[in-house]
Amino acid sequence: MSANVSMRDALYEAPGPKTRRRVAIGTGISVVLLLGLIAFVIRQFYVNDQLNPRYWSFFARWTTWRFLLRGLAGTIRVAFTAGIIAMILGLLLMLGRISHNRPLSVACHVITDLFRSLPSLLLIYFFFLVIPKYGLRMPSFWMITVPVALAASGVLAEVFRAGVNAVPKGQSEAAMALGMTHGKITRKIVLPQALRIVVPSLVSQLVVVVKDTTVAYVVSYPDLMQNARVLISNYDALVSMYFVVALIYIAINYATNQFSIYLAHREGTSIMSRTTENPV
Amino acid sequence: MGVTEVFTTFGDVYLRSVLSTWLMTAVCFAGGLALGILVTVLRVSPVKPLRVAGDVYVQLFRNIPTVSLLVIFVYALPYLGATLSYRTCLLACVILVVSSFASENFMSGINAIGVGQIEAARSIGLTFVQIVRLIVIPQSLRTTVLPMTNLLIATLLTTAMGSQVPLTPPELTGMVNYVNSRSVAGISAFIVSAICYAGTSVVLGWLGNKLDEKVRIVR
Amino acid sequence: MAIETATPVIELRHVDKHYGPLHVLRDINLSVAKGEVLVVIGPSGSGKSTMCRTINRLETIDSGEILIEGTPLPQEGKELAALRAKVGMVFQSFNLFAHKTILQNVTMGPIEVLHTPREQAEAEAMELLRRVGVDSQAAKVPAQLSGGQQQRVAIARSLAMHPTAMLFDEPTSALDPEMINEVLAVMVELAQEGMTMVVVTHEMNFARRVANRVVFMADGQIVEQNSPDEFFDHPQSQRAKDFLESIKGH
Repeated sequence: MSANVSMRDALYEAPGPKTRRRVAIGTGISVVLLLGLIAFVIRQFYVNDQLNPRYWSFFARWTTWRFLLRGLAGTIRVAFTAGIIAMILGLLLMLGRISHNRPLSVACHVITDLFRSLPSLLLIYFFFLVIPKYGLRMPSFWMITVPVALAASGVLAEVFRAGVNAVPKGQSEAAMALGMTHGKITRKIVLPQALRIVVPSLVSQLVVVVKDTTVAYVVSYPDLMQNARVLISNYDALVSMYFVVALIYIAINYATNQFSIYLAHREGTSIMSRTTENPV
Repeated sequence: MGVTEVFTTFGDVYLRSVLSTWLMTAVCFAGGLALGILVTVLRVSPVKPLRVAGDVYVQLFRNIPTVSLLVIFVYALPYLGATLSYRTCLLACVILVVSSFASENFMSGINAIGVGQIEAARSIGLTFVQIVRLIVIPQSLRTTVLPMTNLLIATLLTTAMGSQVPLTPPELTGMVNYVNSRSVAGISAFIVSAICYAGTSVVLGWLGNKLDEKVRIVR
Repeated sequence: MAIETATPVIELRHVDKHYGPLHVLRDINLSVAKGEVLVVIGPSGSGKSTMCRTINRLETIDSGEILIEGTPLPQEGKELAALRAKVGMVFQSFNLFAHKTILQNVTMGPIEVLHTPREQAEAEAMELLRRVGVDSQAAKVPAQLSGGQQQRVAIARSLAMHPTAMLFDEPTSALDPEMINEVLAVMVELAQEGMTMVVVTHEMNFARRVANRVVFMADGQIVEQNSPDEFFDHPQSQRAKDFLESIKGH
């Protein structure tokens, strides 16, 4: 009944004959317009000779894909390592922030907000341009992984905190009634439940991490984007390659997002992200 | 070179850099909101193909990494008959990405309204246009203040992509590169940029919270 | 109370409705005269709420006809909106506009639909709020009021449109027990003033005291209808007997 109708549909009445006719006309016009738009894009490719097989045929070769997949493996390596570091760091920052030790709590709060308010690119430049000036040389893998992890840790700390807040108050009150200490309640009662609540949010945060890794070329780390650039100079096929790479990223991120929505649905929780928590 | 020296040497460029970053953020956010509203209208329209087109648009631009979009604008579009300036490319990319997230915010604002509100509006005789004007838009705008504040801050951070193309003046992230290639300022340049970002974020976040407190709808 | 036999205010003729495979309204025929108070009762899932909601087209029907003061219910557009303005509706979940004050909730219809000048609309609204006993809350927002108060505001919001008839879709079902009577009291007063009312409810005492006619529905059909005394004391059908038996314990 009306209760499970989505708002998108609830905005409209069940249509009468006039409305049905108008919607039909609108549908016709919009199909024509959308097909026109697609036709225009294809035309632009065609008249600029970008549909020429020489720009696309190398995608039929296994070597092309092997090289791209190797790049993708690099992307995934950076994303997962950064994700794990960010999770650990985010969890520590959150625990510090909710601890009863005032200076520690304030420090963790400040660090969390700082990491949340800096672009990951700025942090990458810090590790790529600034740190080496002080004589510290890091491998390119860590020059991209560490800043991406730091940027994500601030957001994850807030996600964890939202998870802790989502655990019903009665849980820790019941534990307090049993005489458990603050630390023990956090460890044994609150955290396990909070972690379950935030799993979908952690998965969706991976999308942000994957996006942040795409500037790995700055530190010359061979990720998907960097390898695509190499192929572009080999095959002299810029347009096709950049579009294909964009589609690969979109597909990965779309799949990750859908997976996190599926998890949230199954667990009956919601996805917390940068946009849903409090601003800095 | 310390922070003070960075200021005496590069203060002028820094000032222009901060202003340019703020201006780009404002332009991208305003453009993103405007485009986001348009896309949201498509997504809630009763015309199926427009809904699908709006949904596809949002999925494309919320999932594409901004750099990936930027390289297409800067390097690929000239091969397809459209050469744009670096700044136009940057602004266009950020606006496209921001608009998809803005539309997602608007959609969840609309979803929060509740069918009962619409039915009540209908039963006192309001027409569709009146319902949209008096109920849907005000309620969804007021529930999206916090998400939109976060999006504004995210927009500020996304303008850092400007460091990947030559801009004059460079924006705040590009400034680190700019200063580094001209002196040994090292960490000082980073600190100044970081303070500018963090300070702007704090102020925007505070303003957003204040506004939200004022207009929040208790349901 | 004299019930006119002229054109009924509300008339349903052979109304049918399906939700997919579910036949929720089966050949409903019903007419409500001016000033009549019609109470619809029946087990949950009997289609009584759905029937109530078809009268101002919050639910569409598959076949049959619905007439308001003799004219067929318009299907869309300004005509439908204009008709709804004349038929008040009170919901189970109040549905006050969450972003507006109590006063604004009541004045929105008159100002936007009837184009009443603001001062006049506000004066009338305050008068209505006084009648339902919540005038002291006029500047608050709905979430600050109790359920009973919100429902009384919802009634005032409908009355502000000077409706020719009012529909009540289980108006007390979402209320805490101690608030039910304050809402029923307002409804009793309305009935005594001669308002034409269709009330879907579980409040049997209200039905017995106020109704001119009780309609009993089950499985999407009107099983029987009668005066309240006849219906409650001598139910004809087995379904009605079973239903009345089942709610006795409460």
